[in-house]
Parts: sequence; structure tokens; C-alpha cells
Amino acid sequence: MPRSKRIGLPALFAAFFRLGVMSFGGGTAGWLYREIVERRHWINDKEFLSSAALGRLVPGSGGVNLTVQVGQHLRGGAGATTAVLGLLSGPLAIVLALAVGYAKVGQSPSLHAVLDGVAAAAIGLTFATGLKLVQFKPASAGPLAITFATVVCVGVLRWPMIPVVLCLAPVSICIALLDRHGRNA
Amino acid sequence: MPDEIRTLLTLALVFAPLSLLSIGGGAALLAEIEHQSVSVHAWTTQREFADLFAISRAAPGPGTMLTTLVGWKVAGLAGALTATVALYLPSSLLVFGAARLWGRWRGSLWHSAVERGLAPIASGLILAGGIAVLRVSPGGPAVWVAAALSTVLILCRPSLHPLVLFFGGGVVFGLAEKLGLW
Repeated sequence: MPRSKRIGLPALFAAFFRLGVMSFGGGTAGWLYREIVERRHWINDKEFLSSAALGRLVPGSGGVNLTVQVGQHLRGGAGATTAVLGLLSGPLAIVLALAVGYAKVGQSPSLHAVLDGVAAAAIGLTFATGLKLVQFKPASAGPLAITFATVVCVGVLRWPMIPVVLCLAPVSICIALLDRHGRNA
Repeated sequence: MPDEIRTLLTLALVFAPLSLLSIGGGAALLAEIEHQSVSVHAWTTQREFADLFAISRAAPGPGTMLTTLVGWKVAGLAGALTATVALYLPSSLLVFGAARLWGRWRGSLWHSAVERGLAPIASGLILAGGIAVLRVSPGGPAVWVAAALSTVLILCRPSLHPLVLFFGGGVVFGLAEKLGLW
């Protein structure tokens, strides 16, 4: 029973600090699985999958949400706070150091060119993530239409995100409910 | 009210509500962060926003550190911390509260409908975020082409480490600029 021994808050902080500085490109859930489940056995597979599903379902970064739940599971509110602080403090320091460096170097054409190249690659990563999520859904017209409407309203027409999501979410959930009824009938 | 406090308050009031609507993670907020930072509040120019986006992606971390950088640009360290807390605290409190209910709802009709209903919106928001950054990127057609190429590359080779890709993009564009090709 791995959870018979209580995990200390410093150990929790250290584990998630490590996780934070290792997770490049937003792959926090994958790293968390390797570090917390496989290496340290702090939670099991079932707990991980259930927490990851909830983490993606509710708003916010899936990685941060997963971290909140693991910390909560191990040490309650103090654990959740410690784990999130551990996860975010490293990346926060690194990104601010990069930003200070950027401000020092100033506006040079070479720096802009390099940053445009990095941005282009990162935009590619964003598109690939979005496209992968579309592909994995069963080929059905309703969800595809919702995705298309979201892209057009927010991305092309530049309507504010909050009202768009508040209008589309109920429609999309109804489509999912009806679809489920249809398949079960 | 002193100006700095008002600025911090504005940052919190803009990002905290977004926190509760970021279905699909930080990337889903990209379009709205761009809209608020460049068009609504003029916290950054288009050029600065594109640069901060690149920097935020080159650093490790969950979700997006872009809001942190926008906060830093507006109000220094206090701005960075305010924007970060505003973006992560509300959604973290929500998941903290929801974790208990989650087990009870598991397998119910509603649970699965909400899960499947939000998925297409999440993917749509992420794609819209990519479009929003492309739109403000001052690099022009070269960036559009490079973004399309890197999309295809990642879809064909999912195991490719993002840092390798970012580094490659930076080197190619940097060299092209040095050689006067672009």
C-alpha cells in the first residue's frame, strides 16, 4: 500500500516543481503520469484517469486541474495549494527571465525573425492539438458543425469568447444528449 | 484609486472570468487574450503580442504563461503575479469543489453528454486561438506557410519534441533574416 505513508508537503512541492519545469509544449498530463503514477506510485491508474477526465472537462489548464486533484487527494487543501505552487513557480520564473532578457535585447530585426519562427512552430502545435481533438470524435455532423461555428465566431468574426461559449455550450450538450438517445434506441 | 492598483484590478477582472470559461485548457483562451490585450485594452502592440506568445511557448509549464507575460508587460512583477493568479485560481477552486461530485455523477447520462458536448467547442476554441495569433503575427505569409508546415509535421510525427520544433523554427527564420532572404 503506497499510500499508507503520508507524503510530506516539501516532497509534494519538489515533485511538482520538477514536473513543471519538465513539461514543455503543454504535455503536463503525460509527465505527471510518468512521475507521480509510474515512478512514485502516489496515485494509481484508475485515480489518474478519472482525475484527468475531470481536469479536461472543467475549465482551466488540464495539467493544473490534474495537479489540484492529486494534491487534494494526497494532502487535502494544503496539498492542492502546495502542488499547484510547485508546478507553477518554476515556469513562472523561467518565463519572466526570458521576458526580461527580451526587454534588455530590445527590438532588433534578428530577434523578431527568430521569435516569428518560434511563434510559427508554436502556432503549428496549437493547430495540430485542435485538429487531433476534432479527428478523435466519431464522424457526426452535429459536433463538427459546433466546432466549425466556434472557429468562425471566435477565430474569423472575432466575436467575444464568453457569449459565444455560453450560447454554443447548451446547444452542443443537447446535441450530445439527443445523439445518445438515438444510439441507445 | 492609484493607477497601479487600478491596472492590477483591471487585469484580474479581465482574466478571472476567462479562467472559468477556458474549456479545453489555456490554448482555448488564446483568441480572447489577444483580443483583450491588443484591441480592447491596448496592453501590447501586435508586434509585442506575437513576441510574448513566442516566449511563452518556448518556456516550460502547463497551459499558457502568456497571461503572465501580458501582466508583466502592463505592470511588472505585480502584474505578472496578478494575471497568473486571476487565470488559475478560479478554475482551480472549481475543480477542487467538483472533484467530490465527480465520482457520484460518473456514468450518468448528464455526465457523458456534458463531456461530449464540450469537446467540439474546446477543439474549435483551440483552432480559433491559432488563427488569432496568426492574425496579429507581423511576420506575414512566411509565418502562415511555416505554421502550416509545422502543423503537418506534428500531425505526421507526434513524438517530435516541441522544443526541437520551436528551435528549428527560430533558427530557420533567424538565418533567413541574416541572409537577407526575408
